[in-house]
Amino acid sequence: MNNINKLHKLHNSNQPYIIYKSNNGFKLYSDFSKKIILKSKNDVENFLNFKSNKKRTKKTDLFIGFFGYELLNNLIDIKLPKQNSLNFYKGIFYKPESVISINNLNYSNSYKKLNKNFKININNKTYTKIFDRFKKRIRAGDTYQIKICTKYKSKSKVDPLDFFSRLSEFNLAPEAFMIRDKDFSIVSCSPENLINKKGEQISTKPIAGTVKKIDKMNKSKALKYFKKNIKENKEHNMIVDMERNDLSKICVPLSVKVSKEKIIEEYRDLFHYVSLIKGKIKKSVNNLQIIKAMMPGGSVIGCPKINTLKLLNNQEEENRNIYTGSFGYIKFNGDMRFNIIIRSILNFKNISQVAVASGVVIDSNANREFNENYIKAKALIDLY
Amino acid sequence: MIYIIDHNDSFTFNVVHQFSKFDEVICDNYDRVNNDILEKASSIVLSPGPGNPKNYPKSSKIYKKYKGKKRIIGICLGFQQILYNEGAKIVEQKNIYHGFQSEIRVTNNSKIFDNNSVFKVGRYHSLKLKEPFNKSNFNITMRCKITNVAMAFENNLDKIYGFQFHPESFLTLNGNFLIKKILSA
Repeated sequence: MNNINKLHKLHNSNQPYIIYKSNNGFKLYSDFSKKIILKSKNDVENFLNFKSNKKRTKKTDLFIGFFGYELLNNLIDIKLPKQNSLNFYKGIFYKPESVISINNLNYSNSYKKLNKNFKININNKTYTKIFDRFKKRIRAGDTYQIKICTKYKSKSKVDPLDFFSRLSEFNLAPEAFMIRDKDFSIVSCSPENLINKKGEQISTKPIAGTVKKIDKMNKSKALKYFKKNIKENKEHNMIVDMERNDLSKICVPLSVKVSKEKIIEEYRDLFHYVSLIKGKIKKSVNNLQIIKAMMPGGSVIGCPKINTLKLLNNQEEENRNIYTGSFGYIKFNGDMRFNIIIRSILNFKNISQVAVASGVVIDSNANREFNENYIKAKALIDLY
Repeated sequence: MIYIIDHNDSFTFNVVHQFSKFDEVICDNYDRVNNDILEKASSIVLSPGPGNPKNYPKSSKIYKKYKGKKRIIGICLGFQQILYNEGAKIVEQKNIYHGFQSEIRVTNNSKIFDNNSVFKVGRYHSLKLKEPFNKSNFNITMRCKITNVAMAFENNLDKIYGFQFHPESFLTLNGNFLIKKILSA
């Protein structure tokens, strides 16, 4: 049986499976022998408390799954206030017994239009109110940048593989993934890598700045656009300094370097303004400490992280679930790869949920940011 | 040994990294300062951080206790913290600089840096020192080239120094040089 057939067979069974973008295609993880459901800080600490073994390098020697936003807050001792919640899982990791490569997904469902009736949780007026409140906090120095999250929800039953293959067709994001389990699915075209750890080397690749590919936009024009745009630059600079900081917590002094500063990455439909920051991990530091230092990823929260998280959490009435959490894997040899969960659809209890956010800095404009949120969400909602 | 007091900032560990170039560094949160380490430290650094100096009475206490006894360096919020304890008013400013690289100029008050030399530095501050500010032994030694806002002070008698900008930012081009000079002053 070839690999693509295996995927289709899996999909038609009720077995859970995961697809994660790899360098030259996708990896398909399945035949899970363990499923670890994480409910608390304690669970995460126990889960990560296994001794890595450099010799364990089989393809299946890993746990793959996600940490939700709430769990990542709890991990750094930030409690969330009471929020409306779907009671979705806070975190799950799976141990696969089969890992195979697939070049393309090549799947099409007899596609029928689904209910597109998405409702937004905060309207423009409320958004503007929150925006103005946060701007005052920026003036007072309590935060320098803060990301307001809006959520779109709709009742619908989706075929996640159909969604994922169509999404990958027009937006092949380097951190795309999908999870199909019995009672939920996640479809994501995340572009952002948060942790790439191999041996003692670690890197993070924050994105701050996105521009759509329109008629005459090319890579060098995109670069010019960003270089000229003071607001985009300031936002990006802040994130670079913050990520340098987070790496410096766990890296050998003086090893943290900005190895690619403000470059353009080209995707099918858009350009991203990206930096790459690298460091060498201290011998005494373990994976739990790395995760606590880096998560939740700063570029989707704002800056400074702790105070900004508190401001956000007190504002948000609805649980973020997976949004701005992290998906990825931890290998038994200690290597890790994690993304930031953005541009994602969570399907749970026959409800589809899309969350998006954009940043408030001192010179942001409420209307523009509200619309940017809508554009980000629309790319996903258009799949329905 | 240099003791860095962190005000829950997302830039403090850049400061730690930078100072590690020159000496052993220990860093603790302002809420969990260790008195033994504080006693042993040759220099104390008050880190950047969110909010206003008046939100951090514990750090003010440390400043008052060790003023004149140890070298004290304040960065951003730390800069404001020191001046606030010297009677200055820290106020909101019209133009806010977050993640902004700007040029600053050394004034003729500096005993450490050459008069009129210009540095490119990274800034992250909502608040600023309200001027005029006069306090004996405290001299404003760097200013924003465009707005003239105070960017550094020196008190060479008590060895107290402050930067309103962030010498540890990747936006600051000669950050290590600036730190080296005030650590050896």
